[in-house]
Amino acid sequence: MTGYAIVLASRELSRVQAVSTIASVAAASDVPVEVFATMEGLLPFEKETVESGDFEVGPVGERMLEAEDMDVPLFTEQFAQAKEIGPLNLYACEMAMDLMGQDLDDYVDVFDESLGVSGFLNRAQDKQVVFV
Amino acid sequence: MSETEHEPDVTVDSRGATCPGPLMDLIGKVKESDPGTVIELQTSDDGSKSDVPEWLDEAGHDLLEVVDHDDYWSMYVETN
Repeated sequence: MTGYAIVLASRELSRVQAVSTIASVAAASDVPVEVFATMEGLLPFEKETVESGDFEVGPVGERMLEAEDMDVPLFTEQFAQAKEIGPLNLYACEMAMDLMGQDLDDYVDVFDESLGVSGFLNRAQDKQVVFV
Repeated sequence: MSETEHEPDVTVDSRGATCPGPLMDLIGKVKESDPGTVIELQTSDDGSKSDVPEWLDEAGHDLLEVVDHDDYWSMYVETN
């Protein structure tokens, strides 16, 4: 096993945050991680959404956003920090971007590039695929 | 405050941070430290007590001692 290829297809904050947490610790431990944000999974990365904090949340996500007694870094910060210290790449799905009429500039600066299905599959070949 | 025989070379204060903050802070410090460095990780995250030893086990570093300070823990780690 040479790392994880994580498909993020959900906009729900706790799922996105779980991906950033697991990906961060793996990458910091020198385990390669490729994250492919596709379909609804792209939406939480929109600059507008991150700035407004208007995420789709369940009870845990709600508590996370409200918690003042705990320091919970948002997934965007976790990804950015982890990319500095370990083998972590993020890709934005080209099709989902096209459907939404957006380009990489519309998202927070964590993506390495946009990617299609073949590109993702090539990068996932030697990895364990995790679908979220 | 509890007593410990371990004298840390460096202290990492991650109190107040939730998972994976303390672990990430520790990993960052371990990476920049020479073998034999004793690191004191201060954490108030309950999960650190089980998760940090798991990481150390896999990464091949030693957990020397965990000291309970009531509102946080000091985890003494020696790098290999």
